Amino acid sequence: MDADLELAKAVLQRDRKASAEFVQLYSDPVYRYVRFRLQPRVEAVDDLVQEVFLTAWKSLGRYEGGAPLKQWILGIARHKVQDHYRQLLKSVPFPEDAEELADSSDGLEIQLGTAQAQARISAILAQLPENYRTVLLWRYWEKKSAEEIGAEIGRTPKAVERLLARARQQFKQAWQGKEEIK
Amino acid sequence: MNQDNWMEQIAELCDEEESLAPSCLKSKLYSRLIETQQLEGPLMSLKETQANGRGLCVFEKLIEILPAEKNMQSFQYCQVCHARVAGERIENAPIYWSNCPYCEFQPR
Repeated sequence: MDADLELAKAVLQRDRKASAEFVQLYSDPVYRYVRFRLQPRVEAVDDLVQEVFLTAWKSLGRYEGGAPLKQWILGIARHKVQDHYRQLLKSVPFPEDAEELADSSDGLEIQLGTAQAQARISAILAQLPENYRTVLLWRYWEKKSAEEIGAEIGRTPKAVERLLARARQQFKQAWQGKEEIK
Repeated sequence: MNQDNWMEQIAELCDEEESLAPSCLKSKLYSRLIETQQLEGPLMSLKETQANGRGLCVFEKLIEILPAEKNMQSFQYCQVCHARVAGERIENAPIYWSNCPYCEFQPR
């Protein structure tokens, strides 16, 4: 932890080599995190990673140790990704009808090996419409509740639940190989 | 099991893959970070940087031993170096100077 504080202090003193070390140490985890959360929009990844580092520089004076610097900068990345999700979901139409969808996953076995499952899940996510993909990533990978998502984008939890239900349904159909996603 | 629980299991199975940031991106991040730092004040001098235990590249060493003024010591020489240009534009760029950040960002 002391090493993290020392590095932060050196970056704040505008030590160019410490700044290079800062980029070298944390660009890989930040890039990995952002790339997965923004998939398949790779064109937005570089800009968002850059925003993370510039925000980190502006906020570094508030870093007091306590948590590893890697966790601290990933926290900034999480905020940036959620800003991105917020902007995206604010601009898409939400389903308004109250049509009930089946809420059972009976027969949906997850039997693949981890690597195969990862590849399949990524492929399905990449093919989903952007509003479905975004709400699934926000809910299940960022672990935000429908209430929290709704509060961020000015929608009711019920509206978010409806969007989630449709997103899950389409994901499920793709998982079963029943539907080719358009 | 309902679909909510099923999706939670799916999310547990799949997270970001092990991958490295492209070296061009690292190079651009570094250049942009230094530019932003310079807007807020001079960079730490090369003498102080070295005193802090961090190595200088061959070009910086040359400047460091010259009887140069302090503002010369704070100049970011990477701005005018071919290593920066190559690092920002070419993945796995053929640059091999020791203690050069742009060389250290290359995946080797």
